[in-house]
Amino acid sequence: MLEVVGLVVLGLVAGIVAAALGLGGGIVFVPVLVVIFGFDQHIAQGTSLAVIFPTAIIATLAHARMGNVRWRLAIPIGLAGIVGAVVGANVALQLNEDLLRRLFGFFLIMLAVRMVWHAWRINGRSEPTPDPS
Amino acid sequence: MSRILLKAIALGAVAGMIAGLFGVGGGVIVVPGLVLWLALAQREASGTSTATIVASSAAAMATFGVSGSVDWRAAGLILVGSVVGAWIGAWIAERVNERVLAVAFALILAIAGIRMVL
Repeated sequence: MLEVVGLVVLGLVAGIVAAALGLGGGIVFVPVLVVIFGFDQHIAQGTSLAVIFPTAIIATLAHARMGNVRWRLAIPIGLAGIVGAVVGANVALQLNEDLLRRLFGFFLIMLAVRMVWHAWRINGRSEPTPDPS
Repeated sequence: MSRILLKAIALGAVAGMIAGLFGVGGGVIVVPGLVLWLALAQREASGTSTATIVASSAAAMATFGVSGSVDWRAAGLILVGSVVGAWIGAWIAERVNERVLAVAFALILAIAGIRMVL
């Protein structure tokens, strides 16, 4: 029961972070499942993807309704993405748990550095930048 | 093939590989790629990126699923929470300083990352 509540709360927190910061949930799901719930790195990643897929469908419908999807770019990126994803997932499944977890940890640290750098750069501006469109 | 199409294919291949390797969506690659490389506005980049993630996450999920590396029950429970969370997050985003939120979140990510590396 405690685990059930914990997983729903994880989804809740990840959903809040994703919507408030414009990030995907994957960078929240994987570390929390591994560090707090003790999941194997591979299972954490597979489970993360199983949440991302339906979430992305819902988000795409909302974006498409607002006219925010450029299909002529999305289709080739998505098709190449399928090939890349199958290659990446097979590499991940071949790697041992320890190595994959460490690689993921490095990936997170890099993202954190990039986020701070980006926030600091916006902070340094005297006026908000206009939309580049 | 047009230059734009080649760029789109290269971007998709790299983002898909990251998505499959780390079990994330890949938006972290696609969004900046669309903005900086293909000159899309932020809002269109978000929408277009989300559409590409439908395809790449399906392929990566299927690959992990076939090898038995998906906990479907856990995924369902997380999904229930995240639908509600997205709604709360949209509300918070309009009221909290995004910079403070971003730096606080980055700190948590860095701590989690260090724990996973060690």
